[in-house]
Amino acid sequence: MDILPSEEEQLLKNAAREFLEAEVSTALVREMELDEIGYPPALWQQMADLGWLGLAIPEEYGGQGLPLAYMGLVMEELGRVLAPVPLHSTMVAALTVAEAGTEAQKRELLPAVCSGGMVMTWAVTERDPRLIPSAIAEQAQPDGDGWVLNGVKMFVENFNVARRCLAAVRTAPASEDNEGISLFLIDPNGVGVSQTPLVTIAKDKQSRVSFDGLRVTGADLVGELHNGWPVVERMLERATALLCCQMVGATRKDAEMAIEYAKNRVAFGRPIGSFQSIQHLCADMLLHTDGAQLLTYEALWKMDRGLPAGVEVSQAKAFANEKCEAVVRSSQVIHGGIGFMMEFDLHLWLRRVSAWSMRLGTTFDHRAKIASALLDKPGKVRLGLPLPA
Amino acid sequence: MDFGYTPEQETLRREVQEFIAEHVTDDVLGELETAEEGGRGVHYRELIRKVAERQWIGISWPKEYGGQGGSRIEQYIVEEEFARLGIAVGGAGSGAPAILAAGTEEQKRHFIPGLISGEIIFALGFTEPQAGADLAGLQCRAVRDGDEYVINGQKMYTSAAHYATHIYLMARTDPDAPRHRGISIFLVPMDAPGITVRPLWTIQSDPPAPIGTTYGMARTNETFFEDVRVPASMMLGEENSGWYVGAMGLNLDRVGASRYLISVRRDEDIVNWVKENDFGGHSPADDPAVRDKLAELWTEAQVCRLMTMRSMSLVERGGNFTYEGSAEKVWAPEHGVHTTETITQILGPYAQLLSSSEEAIENGLFAHNVMGAFQSGINHGSVQVMRDQMARRGLGMPRG
Repeated sequence: MDILPSEEEQLLKNAAREFLEAEVSTALVREMELDEIGYPPALWQQMADLGWLGLAIPEEYGGQGLPLAYMGLVMEELGRVLAPVPLHSTMVAALTVAEAGTEAQKRELLPAVCSGGMVMTWAVTERDPRLIPSAIAEQAQPDGDGWVLNGVKMFVENFNVARRCLAAVRTAPASEDNEGISLFLIDPNGVGVSQTPLVTIAKDKQSRVSFDGLRVTGADLVGELHNGWPVVERMLERATALLCCQMVGATRKDAEMAIEYAKNRVAFGRPIGSFQSIQHLCADMLLHTDGAQLLTYEALWKMDRGLPAGVEVSQAKAFANEKCEAVVRSSQVIHGGIGFMMEFDLHLWLRRVSAWSMRLGTTFDHRAKIASALLDKPGKVRLGLPLPA
Repeated sequence: MDFGYTPEQETLRREVQEFIAEHVTDDVLGELETAEEGGRGVHYRELIRKVAERQWIGISWPKEYGGQGGSRIEQYIVEEEFARLGIAVGGAGSGAPAILAAGTEEQKRHFIPGLISGEIIFALGFTEPQAGADLAGLQCRAVRDGDEYVINGQKMYTSAAHYATHIYLMARTDPDAPRHRGISIFLVPMDAPGITVRPLWTIQSDPPAPIGTTYGMARTNETFFEDVRVPASMMLGEENSGWYVGAMGLNLDRVGASRYLISVRRDEDIVNWVKENDFGGHSPADDPAVRDKLAELWTEAQVCRLMTMRSMSLVERGGNFTYEGSAEKVWAPEHGVHTTETITQILGPYAQLLSSSEEAIENGLFAHNVMGAFQSGINHGSVQVMRDQMARRGLGMPRG
C-alpha cells in the first residue's frame, strides 16, 4: 500500500502539466467558448502525437495499454487548465468499444482515435436524466437486416464534431434476462440525425440529438443485443471517474488562485490571507479538494484491478459534486466582486466545475446507489472492506 | 498508486483477528468496561504480554531496541484490529516515535523495550490551566541544579497519570527566551517525590460509558509538581528545543489507526444497527432521508480512512509532511461529530438513553458518544489550531 502516485505516474502527470500550461491559455479557453467547433485541431493533434489519446487503448490497436489511472492523471491536468478538447467524450466511447466492440469495430475506430483522426462521443440520457435503464425509452424498431431509431437524446457532448456516437437505445422491453438496452455506433452525419446546440453554464458543446428514422445494422451493434446495460454501466463508471479527475484538477487550480489572491489582496491594512476567517476557509478548500482526489484515485485503482468499483465511483462523484462546488464558491467569496467580472478569468473555472457537478449523476443519485450497497444486502459492513454482495 | 495490501499483510490481519477472537475474552473486556483504572487489570496485562510475545508491538521500530524493523503498514494493521475493540495496542500514541526521533541512545535503550512490553506507560503532560490551545504559554518551570532539573508547576488533563509509569512533560527552561524557544521536554518517572495526581471526573463518569465510546473515559487528572528532581539525562532533545521536539512527536504519534477509527466506528455501528433492528416494524433504513444521510456519512468516513492511508504512505516514503497530519486531525474529528449527531436524529428519543438505562441501544453507546465525540476535535491540537497550521504550513499563508 502506497496511495501516492508512483514515480512513473508522477512523471506523466508532470509532463502533462508542463505541456498543457504552455499550450492552453485562458485566452484559448475563452476563444473556444465562442468557436464553432469548440476545440483547436492543432492542439488535439499534438496530444495524439504525445500518445495521450491512446494511453489506455490496447497496444494492438495503436495505444499504450496503460491502466485507466494514467488516463485519469492526464484528465486531471486537462481539468486544471480547462483544456478545450473533446478528450473525455472520445475516451468514454473509445474505451467502451475497446471493451465490448467487435474486432472490425476496434480495427476501424481505435487506431484512428489514437492518431487523432477520430473524435467520438456517447449518448444515454433522454428526458429523464437519471442514468438507469428505465429512463431509456427511445425505441429501435427491427427493420429488415437492421433497426430504425426514433427519439431524442439529451446532453450529448461534442456531437457537433464527433465522427461516431455510441448510443444506448431500447431494443426490447426489460425482461428477467436483460434490461432490453442495446448499444449502437451512430454516424452523426447519417440520414435521419439532427442536432440542436444547448447553451450551457460551461459554454461547452452539448446537443439535443434527434433520431428520425435513422437506420443501423448489426455491424453497428456494440456488445450483445438487448443486454447492453452492463456495458453501459461500466462505460458510465469510467466516464464518471474521469470526470471526477477533471473536477479535481480544475478545483485545485481554482483554489490555488484564491489562495494566491488572498496573500496579495490588502484590506484593513493587511493581506486578507492573514485573517483566520480566510485561512480556515482555505484550509477547508484544501480538505475538500484532497478528499475528492483521494476518493477518485481509489475508484480508478479498483477499476484497474477489475474489482467492483461502483460504490467507489459514486462516493467520488457524490463528494466532488458538493465539495468541489463548495471550493469554487469559496474562491469566488475570497475574490469578492472582481470574481464576478467577465474580464477576470476565475469564472472560467467556476462555470465548468459547476456544470460538471450536474453531469453523470447528481449527489442524490450517487448517494442512493451507495445507500443501496450499504443497506439492502444482509451482512455487516466494515469500512475499508468490500460491502456485502 | 496502490490502495491494496500484500498477501503477507492480509495474512497478518487474519492472524491478528484470530488472536483477538481467542484472547480478547470477556474478562479482558470487563476490565476495560470499568475504565476508571484505565483497564490495567491482570487480564489486560496478560493480553498485552501475549501481544508483545507475538512481536506485534512497535513493528516499525528498530530491531536494536526491541522492535521488528518492519513497515508502518504492518504496525497499522495490528493497531487497526485492536483499536476496533477500543484497545490501544501496537505502538501509535505511545510516545515512542518521539523518543526514537529525538532521544539519546541511553533513552532509547531504556524506554523502547519497556514501551513494547507494556511495563512503561506514558502520561502526556502538556496542557496547563492557563495553556491549552496556546500551549507555548505554559508556565511549569524546570530549573537546572547540577546534574538535575527541579520541576515546579501544574499539568491538566493528564489522563493516564494515575496508572502511567512516566510523564512526558513539557516545561519552561528559559523564561527569558521567546516563548517557543524556552521550552524543554522531560521523561519524568511518576514515582519521583513531589508528584501529586488528583482525579478530575468527566461527564462520562456516571454512569460509565460503554467500551468503544469516543472519549468515553470516566476520569482524567490534574498533576502537581513540587520540587520534583529529575536527572538531566531524562531531557528529550536539546535544552530549549522542546517545542519542536513535541510538535514533531505529536505529528508522528498521530499517524495510525486510532485517530481515524475513533471517528468512523459509529458509521459502521449505525449502519449495522439499522440493518438488523427496527422500531416496532419500522426500519430507519427504509427512510429515503436517512439513506441519503448514511451514504453521505459513509463517503466522509472513507475520506478519513484515505487521509490516514496517505499519512502512512508519506511516512513510508520518509515522512515529509507539510499539512497532511493536520488535515487528518480536522477531517476525522469533525466527521465523527457529524455522524454522532446524525445518529441522534435517526434514533430519536432512544439516543438519549445512557448505559445504565432500560431500553438503551447498544448499551448507551450512541448517547455517551454525544458527550464525547467533540473531544477528539479539541484534544491534541484543536481543529481550529489544525486549520491554522494547514493554512500557514500547507498553503504558505501569512501570520496575522
